Amino acid sequence: PNNKINNKQINLTFNFCTILISLSLSLSLSLSLSISLSVSLSLSVSLSLSLSLSLSLSLSLSISLSVSLSLSLSLSLSLSLSLCLSLSLSLSLSVSLSLSLSVSVSVSLSLSLSLSLSLSLSLSLSLSLSLSVCVCFVHPDVPAPEQPELFLKKLQQCCTVFDFMDTLSDLKMKEYKRSTLNELVDYVTVSRGYLTEQAYPEVVKMVSHNIFRTLPPSDSNEFDPEEDEPTLEASWPHLQLVYEFFIRFLESQEFQPSIAKKYIDQKFVLQLLELFDSEDPRERDYLKTVLHRIYGKFLGLRAFIRKQINNIFLRFVYETEHFNGVAELLEILGSIINGFALPLKAEHKQFLVKVLIPLHTVRSLSLFHAQLAYCIVQFLEKDPTLTEPVIRGLLKFWPKTCSQKEVMFLGELEEILDVIEPTQFVKIQEPLFKQISRCVSSPHFQVAERALYYWNNEYIMSLIEENSSVILPIMFASLYRISKEHWNPAIVALVYNVLKAFMEMNSTLFDELTATYKSDRQREKKKEKEREELWKKLEDLELKRGLRSDGIIPT
Amino acid sequence: MDAYKLMKELRVNYEQEAHYRPKETGLRLIESTTEGDSRISAKGRNAKVEDLWSLTSFFGYSTQTFVLAVNLLDRFLAMIKVQPKHLSCVSVSCLHMAAKVTEEECDLSPADELIRIGQCRFTTSDLCRMEKIVGEKLGFKSNAVTALTFLHLYHQIALSHSTDRKESLSLEKLEAQLKACLCRISFSKAKPSVLALSLLRQEMEAVQSEDMLEIAYHIQRHLKITDGELLLWSERVAPCLSDYASPECSKPNHRKLQWIVSRRTAQNLHSYRTVPELPTIPEGCWDESESEDLCEDVMSSGEESLSSSLGSDAEGPFFPLHLRRQKHLHA
Repeated sequence: PNNKINNKQINLTFNFCTILISLSLSLSLSLSLSISLSVSLSLSVSLSLSLSLSLSLSLSLSISLSVSLSLSLSLSLSLSLSLCLSLSLSLSLSVSLSLSLSVSVSVSLSLSLSLSLSLSLSLSLSLSLSLSVCVCFVHPDVPAPEQPELFLKKLQQCCTVFDFMDTLSDLKMKEYKRSTLNELVDYVTVSRGYLTEQAYPEVVKMVSHNIFRTLPPSDSNEFDPEEDEPTLEASWPHLQLVYEFFIRFLESQEFQPSIAKKYIDQKFVLQLLELFDSEDPRERDYLKTVLHRIYGKFLGLRAFIRKQINNIFLRFVYETEHFNGVAELLEILGSIINGFALPLKAEHKQFLVKVLIPLHTVRSLSLFHAQLAYCIVQFLEKDPTLTEPVIRGLLKFWPKTCSQKEVMFLGELEEILDVIEPTQFVKIQEPLFKQISRCVSSPHFQVAERALYYWNNEYIMSLIEENSSVILPIMFASLYRISKEHWNPAIVALVYNVLKAFMEMNSTLFDELTATYKSDRQREKKKEKEREELWKKLEDLELKRGLRSDGIIPT
Repeated sequence: MDAYKLMKELRVNYEQEAHYRPKETGLRLIESTTEGDSRISAKGRNAKVEDLWSLTSFFGYSTQTFVLAVNLLDRFLAMIKVQPKHLSCVSVSCLHMAAKVTEEECDLSPADELIRIGQCRFTTSDLCRMEKIVGEKLGFKSNAVTALTFLHLYHQIALSHSTDRKESLSLEKLEAQLKACLCRISFSKAKPSVLALSLLRQEMEAVQSEDMLEIAYHIQRHLKITDGELLLWSERVAPCLSDYASPECSKPNHRKLQWIVSRRTAQNLHSYRTVPELPTIPEGCWDESESEDLCEDVMSSGEESLSSSLGSDAEGPFFPLHLRRQKHLHA
């Protein structure tokens, strides 16, 4: 007799000789939606005398796959009062040998996720209780005191590295490792009191084994970071979880740098920095976060990290011009610069002048220019007296043949001018506007456009106004010339805007310069005319000479 | 040209100037209009004339073109009620007409270029029509007698009288000053000859040349210009010129100019202003230790307070000692 309502079950049971004498008084209200596929082969010889008073209120959603082989000899006397609210995913493989004499009074309110390999002594009841399925949010099977042990064991297991280049090998093991890593990530995120001292070296060892490796050489020498697709890391499914785990480990509330610093030392950091050369941008992103957290937490490593980053950059600029992680390192540096204490230390100023400014000379500047510009502007916001060396440095390294770079430089310069102090502006205005005047008359229209757009910036305009007597003479000649000669009509229109602004700023000076310019041009025209006339005269003279009858050219 | 001929020409022009003067009543009406009316105000007219000057200068037209254009504009405005929205069209058509008369064919910029650069809202056909209207209303003949005509004549006279003082009176400067005056509608009410003479006198006074002033007086008597009239306009011209010559800059913003940039440039304009994702790591006052064992003693208390200020980072019994050692290291 089945008192279940709404129970969809595909049940294949072969019952042989089941003799059931049951006297049951049951009031069961079970609303169970179970999709169970049970293949049970039961040979039951049951002599059941059941007196059951069951009041079950179960709301269950079960998806179970049970393969049961039951040999039951049951004598059951059950009194069960169960209230189970469960949502479970059980994969049970039960081989039950039941010799049951059960008197069960169970009031269970269970919320558990069981991945159980259960050897169950099952009570076979004619009145089957709903299969309880429970979702477990806490690792159920392992009791709390044993968890750290398990944690260490799993860490050790994850030290094995698999070869992902061979896509077909060890699929099961790879999957197992992946799920273990997932478990570790979850564990670290939610657990309390799990970090023992022994855990630290194991964690560091596991992470080291997984991520520290020799990076594969880049596929082609001509790898253009902007154009080509980067070669992605094959073992990313595992690597990502390792990074994820490590970051949560570092960010965990229980993390203690004083213990960790024995294991996360300079050697570790050095290897970490080498990994920044990876071609996989996802890996670099994780590395950036890792290094950022390490820099934040390990005060003793900060100087070392900064020195190593210096070395990397210097090598990049002066030796190899190849390193994929410049943008990420600059991002970290940006957050460091932002936190500098005032007054700035000499070491930092050196860094700015000797490393950050020469970084502008590299060919692949476009990959990290945004971050570099941010760093520079941060420096200037911290210490405005650095403006002069910075701008002079930029002017010294101003690109001469690469127009794309020139546009970037102009953008960066505008950012700098946005935060510049008026006193500093006065110091560098002359060389600066000489360069701008050259940019404005550049035949590359994007360069000219970008330079002219400065006049749309209100703050820059106010600075120019204050110093118009110095700036206007520098800019005037090229502006006036390109208003007549530039090939691009849009540029000519922008030049009008600029000239108009100047005109309204300082009419007297403007008129003077116009007059001088015009008279200069007149003089030039006159000179040219004279030159032409001279040549013509010479020609005539030569012709006259040539026309002499004897054909001899007199000396 | 000898002095006698010059004087004669002066006389002729003086007699003709009345034909080319804008109606005073019309000018007064414009001056008295307040902003925001359906009529053109003095401020609007002045702003437009300044725009005209920008265009003149940009296209390399001569001052003659400019003066002629302003003359046409004033005459037209004084005669006909123009709505403010048409003012732009009227002024540019005056400029174009003046340019056609004064400039050489090769230097003339086409109308559509004028419209594009001046960021005007009307079309070339509008411009042509407006030119026709202005030409009809003013009975436009090739040349007008303007203040510039007189200025040139005065300058030549002054030159012819004192040959060794060629450099002292700069025609360019006088022209520029005239341009500055024309930007204010009040000076359009003056007789061109008187205006030019007052400018001349101002310049001569600035140069402090008695001979020059005598020449000016001579001219005044020749043209029978009254002292009162001359004085009146001199007094008005003086502040205008001192404004013009002052090193103070006026903020240029009575009209927002359009800045059109190409798509690529516009895309990259503000790419640097991205908010950084990583949180700031503040620098401690003493985390620059060269040796790690130094840290070990004092670090234990400082671990948790990474984001706190300098003071709390240095807790611990070794604080003074540590600092002393630190200073020594950095010394």
